[in-house]
Amino acid sequence: MSSVISARGLTKRYGKRTAVDGIDFDIPAGRIVGLIGPNGSGKTTTLKAALGLIPFEGSLSVLGFDPRTQRDDLMQDVCFIADVAILPRWLRVKDAIDFVAGVHPRFNREKAERYIAATSLRPAMKVKEMSKGMIVQLHLALVMAIDAKLLVLDEPTLGLDILYRKQFYQNLLEDYFDEHKTIVITTHQVEEVEHILTDLMFIREGRIVLAASMEEIGERYIEVMVSHDKLSAANALQPIDRRTVFGKSVMLFDAASNGISRQQLAALGETRNPSVADLFVATMKGSYA
Amino acid sequence: MNTMTMKWLLRREFWEYKGSMFWAPLAVAALLVLFIGGTVVYGTAMHDIPTHITINGKTVNGYTVGMTLEARHRIAQLASSVYLGAAWPLFGLLTAVTFSYCLGALHDERRDRSILFWKSLPVSDEMTVLSKAITAMVVAPLITMALGFIASLLLLFVSGAAFAVNGINMFGPLLASPDLYLSPLRLLAMLPVYVVCALPTVGWLLLVSSWARAKPLMWAVGAPLVGLLLAKWVSLAAAGVGGTPLNLVAYAQEVAVRLLGGIVPGIWFAFDDAVRPTLRTGADGIDTSGLVSSSYDLLTHADTWLWALLGAAMLYAAMRLRRFRDEG
Repeated sequence: MSSVISARGLTKRYGKRTAVDGIDFDIPAGRIVGLIGPNGSGKTTTLKAALGLIPFEGSLSVLGFDPRTQRDDLMQDVCFIADVAILPRWLRVKDAIDFVAGVHPRFNREKAERYIAATSLRPAMKVKEMSKGMIVQLHLALVMAIDAKLLVLDEPTLGLDILYRKQFYQNLLEDYFDEHKTIVITTHQVEEVEHILTDLMFIREGRIVLAASMEEIGERYIEVMVSHDKLSAANALQPIDRRTVFGKSVMLFDAASNGISRQQLAALGETRNPSVADLFVATMKGSYA
Repeated sequence: MNTMTMKWLLRREFWEYKGSMFWAPLAVAALLVLFIGGTVVYGTAMHDIPTHITINGKTVNGYTVGMTLEARHRIAQLASSVYLGAAWPLFGLLTAVTFSYCLGALHDERRDRSILFWKSLPVSDEMTVLSKAITAMVVAPLITMALGFIASLLLLFVSGAAFAVNGINMFGPLLASPDLYLSPLRLLAMLPVYVVCALPTVGWLLLVSSWARAKPLMWAVGAPLVGLLLAKWVSLAAAGVGGTPLNLVAYAQEVAVRLLGGIVPGIWFAFDDAVRPTLRTGADGIDTSGLVSSSYDLLTHADTWLWALLGAAMLYAAMRLRRFRDEG
């Protein structure tokens, strides 16, 4: 199978508002894709369509299944954390483990218990006695113990402190991910996931504005600390973003669109790869205008 | 169907509603035993049973003398055939619990968004909704029956013991009475009729639960009531115009009863003249076996099955709604 998710003309309208506007994309197996966009850009809607949670127009194939009509088959191999999902208040830690172990053929109980042992959760604890962060820890422990071909994480670390967030992404990469699995992540804390991503997808107003692998992005986007005397020369090359850091101009160039070479840019000043966050800000300029 | 998954789904429902489906009836059962049993024991202990005859200053225990074996046998027969009646408050509670359970079952999970967790697991919407219907129509009634049987039996034995202390030992004829053993089985035998009868109500309530964005209670009760009022109004208007009252109100009433009252145990005795309970009161006490056979008469009526079919259709609609309900 070449693509884990393949979308053609995927469209979702809520009344008159178009949340997702005819997008095409392919996600191959063995990738960790960051789906990044501002609030209301259509990230969650796209993921919900892929998970068979909502009806949509266009065509979408996930692991070879149509999420509209073959959701029950699809869910054998897919797991997800939705951004607003919460575990029910009455659920106990041990009951949660028993239940998922009972209904999910790919659940590894021993693994879940190991993750939970690393937290302050206790087996008899009910969700209503937990802090927000502890609930997320339980949810993540359950999901990480499921050996799914596709894992969708929509804002998975909301409410977690930085220590646990780092630990989680570490576990995700070392303990969970392998070349047969695909992970799609959306998060606002881009800087925390960028080192584990293999691919990036920027979405804005229901359209995909950038979809590329991290290598491609590294080749294509170059940030330059422009020295004062080269400012006009730099501006002539049409940077896609410029800002000032400690009195120095930092400009972002898209080498693909202007046919600029790295050597050309190196002549202007010190070059480096931009962070995903900076690239995001540059791409999304005017989103809230 | 995956029976393993269904087992876990049913267990899940029990975890969530343990309070209203197990602890509440258990508490009521305990109170029943405590209060009724206590009253009997207290009554017999304080006042004795008015059995003493004083003749020339000599007290004779009347029952030991006068109560024939035959009379004792009759009382035992009566007690063993109706003792389960003591559990009726539990069945009243069951109705209330089932009603609120069905209304909340598919609504609460959307309100707290835990539905997104349940839907992240390989469990179909059909299975989930079915597990909730089974919980309402089979699991909850079975728990109530079991607790009702235990409470009634305890009461019977407590009363028997209280009488025995006062010199009237009923245990022999009581334990020899086949009704003592048959009554719980008769109760159990009525469960299939209950399921058929409850299906339209459970289907309706689950449908509203899965459809309503807010206030499922208002929709579930309001819609049939508005329909009823509308029917009254139309038939009044028709009576004013044409002079002949329409039979609309009776239909609307039946709809309201079937949609809301089907979960009341024994409601079917009120449906139709043909299924009136046949209770023969005779020398052997009350023959409760008539209750079972007249209950099963209900299953020979076409409208029973039409309503059950409608209930199943509403259940299916609830499944489809859960499948694509978007929670923002």
